[in-house]
Amino acid sequence: MNLVEGIFVKPFQDMFGAPDFLIQVLWEGLVAGVLYALIALGFVLIYKSSRIFNFAQGIMVVFAALTLVGLYEKGVPALLALPLTLVVMFLLAVAIERVVLRPLVNQPDIILFMATIGITLFLIGFGEIIFGGENKVMITEQLFIPTGSFTFEPFGGFVSIEQKDLTAVIGAVLLVAGLILFLNKSKMGRAIRALGDDHQAALSVGISLSTIWVLVWFIAGVIALATGIVWGARAGVSFALEVIAFKALPVLMLGGLESVPGAIIGGLAIGILEKLFEIYWGQPLLGGNTETWFAFVFALIVLLFRPQGLFGEKIIERV
Amino acid sequence: MKKLLKTTLLCAALAAGTVLAAPAIAQDSVNLPNLSYRTGPFASTGIPLMNGQRDYMMMLNERDGGMNGVTLGYEECETGYNTEKGVECYEKTKATGIVTQPWSTGITLQVLPKSNVDKIPVLAPGYGFSAMQDGKTFQWAFNPPASYWDGANMILQAISDGNLDSLKDKKIALLHLDHPYGKEPIPLFEQAAEKHGFTLLPIPVGLKEMQNQSAQWLQIRRERPDFVLMWGWGAMNAGAITEAVKTKYPMNQFVGIWWSGHDGDMKVSGEAAKGYRAISWSLPNSQAPAMQDIKKHIVDAGKSMIDQAGGEFDWVFYQRGVLISAMLAEGVKVAQEHFDAKVINAEQLRWGLENLKFDEARIAELGLEGMIPPFSTSCADHTGHSGAWMIEWDGTKFNKVSELLTADRAAIDPLVETAAKEYAAANAPWPINEECKM
Amino acid sequence: MLYRTAGQFKTSYEADHALFPVKQDAWLLAFILVMAFVIFPLTASEFTFNALLVPVLIYALAALGLNILTGYAGQLSLGTGAFMGVGAYACYKLITIFPEMNILVAIALSGFFSAAVGVAFGLPSLRIKGFYLAIATLAAQFFLVWLFEKWAWLYNYNASGAIQVPNIDMFGVTVTGPRASSIVQYYFVLVVVCVVTWFAINITRGRIGRVWKSVRDMDIAAELVGINLMKAKLSAFAVSSYIVGISGALFVFLWRGAAEPNLFDIPLSFRVLFIAIIGGLGSILGNYLGAILIVALPVIIGTLPATFGIPISSSMAEHLNTMTIGGLIIMFLIVEPHGLARFWAIIREKLIMWPFPH
Repeated sequence: MNLVEGIFVKPFQDMFGAPDFLIQVLWEGLVAGVLYALIALGFVLIYKSSRIFNFAQGIMVVFAALTLVGLYEKGVPALLALPLTLVVMFLLAVAIERVVLRPLVNQPDIILFMATIGITLFLIGFGEIIFGGENKVMITEQLFIPTGSFTFEPFGGFVSIEQKDLTAVIGAVLLVAGLILFLNKSKMGRAIRALGDDHQAALSVGISLSTIWVLVWFIAGVIALATGIVWGARAGVSFALEVIAFKALPVLMLGGLESVPGAIIGGLAIGILEKLFEIYWGQPLLGGNTETWFAFVFALIVLLFRPQGLFGEKIIERV
Repeated sequence: MKKLLKTTLLCAALAAGTVLAAPAIAQDSVNLPNLSYRTGPFASTGIPLMNGQRDYMMMLNERDGGMNGVTLGYEECETGYNTEKGVECYEKTKATGIVTQPWSTGITLQVLPKSNVDKIPVLAPGYGFSAMQDGKTFQWAFNPPASYWDGANMILQAISDGNLDSLKDKKIALLHLDHPYGKEPIPLFEQAAEKHGFTLLPIPVGLKEMQNQSAQWLQIRRERPDFVLMWGWGAMNAGAITEAVKTKYPMNQFVGIWWSGHDGDMKVSGEAAKGYRAISWSLPNSQAPAMQDIKKHIVDAGKSMIDQAGGEFDWVFYQRGVLISAMLAEGVKVAQEHFDAKVINAEQLRWGLENLKFDEARIAELGLEGMIPPFSTSCADHTGHSGAWMIEWDGTKFNKVSELLTADRAAIDPLVETAAKEYAAANAPWPINEECKM
Repeated sequence: MLYRTAGQFKTSYEADHALFPVKQDAWLLAFILVMAFVIFPLTASEFTFNALLVPVLIYALAALGLNILTGYAGQLSLGTGAFMGVGAYACYKLITIFPEMNILVAIALSGFFSAAVGVAFGLPSLRIKGFYLAIATLAAQFFLVWLFEKWAWLYNYNASGAIQVPNIDMFGVTVTGPRASSIVQYYFVLVVVCVVTWFAINITRGRIGRVWKSVRDMDIAAELVGINLMKAKLSAFAVSSYIVGISGALFVFLWRGAAEPNLFDIPLSFRVLFIAIIGGLGSILGNYLGAILIVALPVIIGTLPATFGIPISSSMAEHLNTMTIGGLIIMFLIVEPHGLARFWAIIREKLIMWPFPH
């Protein structure tokens, strides 16, 4: 009886008993969700255009953030370090395309997936040699990201909203809007989408595979940089950040591997739901730390009903 | 490709050959390996400690030509705080090394049962398994100068101004890493909670959530504990401090164990983390003669790996690393003198670590005054129980804010006895050193 | 010359379907077994046992389990580490509940627990495919590791949350725990691995193996020719998880000696996956080759600088190690995506022809 009450009654009592706290939980979930969506977006772009499940997206986040902070520490002004980091990410994209992707064209998916894990390991070692393993401070102030916080006092409690989280949300919205505009309106963007629809047809109308691949990996690098700045501002930049790549995987399951809106909606949904579950069910009933698996199990259950994810393309199989 | 493969195979064969053949040891040196971690998610806290350990040993070699003419071989084996790698390192170093410094509670737990068989002392200063203080049961393991249970007890004293009963009906949250290390103090806190009538609320932080603790801090905000105690490590410390600032949790009610009082972690929050306290059995004192010698012989000579621009030399953790090496070097010296031998073996070092005497005079002689409280170990007591100070973050550095606290032995010793007995029973047959007098 | 097949005639179908249609293969295997059973134990040092021989065998066994699922039945799994954990914890509980139980029996039984868990998490594979399934197996990975941490009963309410392997005797010899000598453990693991490998070779050659392969190549087509997909996929999950579970029990009991939950976390799963893929999917031999490469490489890279007298800090060596392994994985995938097993197959073809290519 107690258990039933704990599952079905008490959490809702708590929610409405302390609405300010609920708002805070939702806000925290939303911010986390925005970050998950950003990482998932990087995955989706690459998967859409090249059918590569890019596991290296997580380390690219770390690498981009470290490059930015590392350059700043070497004495490069922050506003110059930012474009320089973009240049580095571009070179990385070119290198990955040349060294890894080109020789592996037409290999089975799992081989390409393994190759991206190889890239991850390589970048971890490489990054630690260059930047060292210490936890670094993200240069928030130098990039003109506000660091204060707004405090509201609804329902007799308080809700505190960090300005940098707010900046992150706004920045992410702008980034996504720009990306969608780019994909839909520009010539290059349409080429990317064409490649996603049908490789050979795209090649036959003169779209260059290697250019698009470099471009797509570069865009993924830009997204990684944005994610790295935002996440790094929250908790510092170190290689421990790499694990957030796993957080994007259930988002992909939920949203579908090739859907941009799926990544965004899935990211937000998972961010909010896992926070709610952890606070109102996980911590009182299960001993906490449910965030490590909740998103996966949730996505798995959804997938049992929709095997291609919420927004994925319907899988039609023929013999 | 084939050629490449051939070369690889050749290299492999070559290397395999060297692995199999035990390397010869130079005549006048003792090998003191350290299972370090300068990589992985815990690197940020590991690096200054390892630097401190390394620099002190190198300083002794430079300044005095080692210990009584014997070079102190300081050799690192990288574990990345990974238990599997750690055990591999232990296997690799045990052939030549006369000590194991496992540097992680997880690795300590794995190495501990083997140390009895391999007869190699395990030195885990300020970490490891609290019950290791019982030298009768854990003949080969040492955790001077204070154990986690000591630390937990001293923190409780500090937050209650010495009267633990004043904690009655208070709620104390224990924010800990979900790892053997973080779980280590729980039995002591549970016992204290029962005895003194406070509520203990353990809040685990998974290894994957170290940098994103918003759920844990939302829980803290909901539960409104009177105190938050932290058993954090690596990236978790910085994450917790930032979240605490964000949640507006009063910093003067937030207290960490000695591994959570790291300058590098605090810098992320800087001024906002002012008032955060940690217990520490070591204090930085850059003016101490030994530190000045390190500066002269190692740092200024460009032989150190520290980040001088970042002020690493003055950090709590760097200087704690120095102290750890000082304890080990002292163990070597005591053993050399007792056995009248120059190159001592593992068994002799064990005796040395069992007879450490860090009294005021000796600490001053070593040039470490003000850095470590006096303590001494014995056959039955492998910890020494030095006591510790509270240190407080003032926005730029840690300052000592309390007199020396000492742990309440009556609260800890019975627990140690049961834990040691349980351990011995679970690992039967387990040798007990009955010669020790308690 | 060495591998000449001329003159070896087959006079019956049975002979043609024999495990070693070419005599030299049987000799080679006999040679390897002699090495493994006689030469290595006589020559190896304790470090070699603990850092090379035993882990190679255990990792190869885990990869073999994964290979049955991924290489033969075509179901990509990223949750191997957690299934190893199920085997290890099951074995630990069996030993603590029934202390008189023979360790061999306990290990064999613990495989059934992981097989059951494997089948439960394999159920989604009936509806989900490809990468979606791979991510779904991650659900098992994260959930199980979380369970190992939170379910205190599993580790007998030990304060540190870790499990310690007790000293267990078998026929008067200590086989597990800190008192066991590494040579005994080596033989124990070797025997178990040999038996399981023999079983795996035969199951993959037989009817069940062919059913799996047809599901791997195209499950809809397999269904059309009358193969029960549910049975095929779930049996692959069961057999695979059983072997993985055994390897997990060996991993902790015969090698590590103690374990904490995060030992079974995602890096272990990836490590096993690397071994299976670099060794070669759909091959039994490949698992051993892959394990030799992945286990031995870090050890060798760790000792190389010292051998050549290059002063290099251990952390630098570790970084270089990570980098090299990453680079090597990419290189191997580019050079031979079908893994080391295919590499050996090519060499063998060449040897059969040599010295007269035509």
